[in-house]
Amino acid sequence: MSLESFVQAAINGLILGLIYVAIAIGLTIIFGMLRLVNFAHGAFYAIGAYTGLVVADHLGFFAGVVAAPIVVGMLAFGLDRVLLRSFYGKPPTAQILVTFGIALVVEEALRLIFGGTTRQLAIPDWLNGSIAVAGLQYPAYRIYLAIAIIVVVFAVWFFIERTTYGLIVRAGVRDRVMVQLLGGNVEAASTLIFVLGAALAGLVGVAASPIYSVDPGTGFAFLIPSFVVVVIGGLGSFWGAVVGGIIVGELMSISQVAFPVVSDVIIYVAMALVLLLRPQGLLGESEMIRG
Amino acid sequence: MTGWRFYALLAAGLALFPLIFHLPPINGYAGLATEILIVGIAAIGFNLLLGYAGQLSYGHAAFYGLGSYGSGLAVLTFFPHAQSFALALFTGIAIAGIAAAIIGSLVVRLYGIYFALLTVAFAQMVYFIVFQARDLTNGDDGLQGISAPPLNVGFAHVDLGSSLPAFGLGPCGDLSDIKLWYVFAAIVAFLVVAFVRTLVRSEFGEALAAIRENEERSIFIGLDPRRYKLAVFVISGLLCGLSGALHALYQGSAAIEGLSVEQSGAFAIFTIVGGVGTLIGPLVGTGLIMWLENIVGGVFPAWRLVEGLVFVAVVVFLPSGIVGSLLRRRGGRLWLRRLVTAK
Repeated sequence: MSLESFVQAAINGLILGLIYVAIAIGLTIIFGMLRLVNFAHGAFYAIGAYTGLVVADHLGFFAGVVAAPIVVGMLAFGLDRVLLRSFYGKPPTAQILVTFGIALVVEEALRLIFGGTTRQLAIPDWLNGSIAVAGLQYPAYRIYLAIAIIVVVFAVWFFIERTTYGLIVRAGVRDRVMVQLLGGNVEAASTLIFVLGAALAGLVGVAASPIYSVDPGTGFAFLIPSFVVVVIGGLGSFWGAVVGGIIVGELMSISQVAFPVVSDVIIYVAMALVLLLRPQGLLGESEMIRG
Repeated sequence: MTGWRFYALLAAGLALFPLIFHLPPINGYAGLATEILIVGIAAIGFNLLLGYAGQLSYGHAAFYGLGSYGSGLAVLTFFPHAQSFALALFTGIAIAGIAAAIIGSLVVRLYGIYFALLTVAFAQMVYFIVFQARDLTNGDDGLQGISAPPLNVGFAHVDLGSSLPAFGLGPCGDLSDIKLWYVFAAIVAFLVVAFVRTLVRSEFGEALAAIRENEERSIFIGLDPRRYKLAVFVISGLLCGLSGALHALYQGSAAIEGLSVEQSGAFAIFTIVGGVGTLIGPLVGTGLIMWLENIVGGVFPAWRLVEGLVFVAVVVFLPSGIVGSLLRRRGGRLWLRRLVTAK
């Protein structure tokens, strides 16, 4: 492998990793703050991507990017109110089953509405072109996407760690009754966290669809690696998802160039090793997880 | 229910199933009945782990798929001259069992969500290893043209593809619609249910129940939960391997989809819909969902949407499943509701 192809793979891995980071952050804050294992998270990505495709067709790319998180957020709000509310903090078995069922329903609904064909969003001219990175000509859209994700990640972090809403949810995880006695609305705050995590996945869905094409199965295709990311970083850990996402993106991308045979399997080997040697994840806090 | 009554009802149910299944409103066919029983055995294995030991695996497709590929490869590649049904079946089960022992010994160290996610990781590894071993497994295409060798029953070699004697049954069709494969699958399913029933009623089953209810307390009364969890994991993996091996021999093919996360999820759906922690619930759930897929799917293409909605509705409103709800009148199944419901 030449140095050039290695650098190329490393940059690709970073972009892919950042996309996983943005999906996994929703997954990890929903687990960390609401104690919900959400197998429907990939479905939010897919809905975002399809919403973006439809809206962008009529109103342009930018409208698609704005519409996707709003539509996904509203759907997530309904889902939270009608169904998932009562599953927060319950045994993971029940959560996995119900959210897996929701994911199935979404996949089939998308297939019914849009058919099974693969689709891709066109990059608008003003975002197209290439930029020189480390001596290589690199597609400009990917660079913009990476920067946008980094900005969004810090915005989410600020919201959770530095605002009253974030404080109420984090305190609510520790002692729900006390927070309510002190006048904090835990219910509203946790709904907001769920909607935020979902909307984020929807936003990534549309933003990544010029690079990674979508079909009804895309939700599951992104769900499983996103869980790998969250597990490697630590279930519930914010910065763990960031570190895990970059690791997974780089592992997938570099191994594809260096050892194509193992490129599919390598992230699962990494996930299993983390679960066996450090089940709380690289940056996670220890809790009762060993049998 | 007393033993003989249960077994008599089970035998009668298995004997009548392909006939009733054929009636016009149901519109099934005997071949599908056979497949339901075969796949149902995997659901029974999955249920042994979830329903009786309280462990959710999202990786049991690995054992089902390895069973399929094992028996298929035994016929096509490993022992092409042996032409032995039993050898093919045994190869599939053995490969699944070895994988279950290796994977099981690692996953039993973890709890709950971590247990489930580690089973996903290992199942994905198996999926991609089989996928990449193209020379042996044909990758995406899977194994085709596996012709099941005749079954040696001691005094004769029986071709399971032959039909039962012609005998008109009115609206239920003709007895000759049914192949010997159904009879064989029904006998295996009967033995599997009897085995699981005996197992969960034994001291071993009591220990599993103790671990399921409260793992910490089970340690205090002197049990070693890891050993029990490993044992039940391997047994449940073996049942999935048996199911996969039979399926490959019956269908004449082994598909890579049999190793996917979706397949693992399907076992969960079959079990939950039918009734987790019940003896025949998994068979009932498999029957209902596969009927939806094959019969309703023929006239109504959105059947998978219906399947997903049925599944969500069952998890939320009918957490003990169809069979479990019918049985519930007789006694509280509190642990079950705790395991599957939100309430």
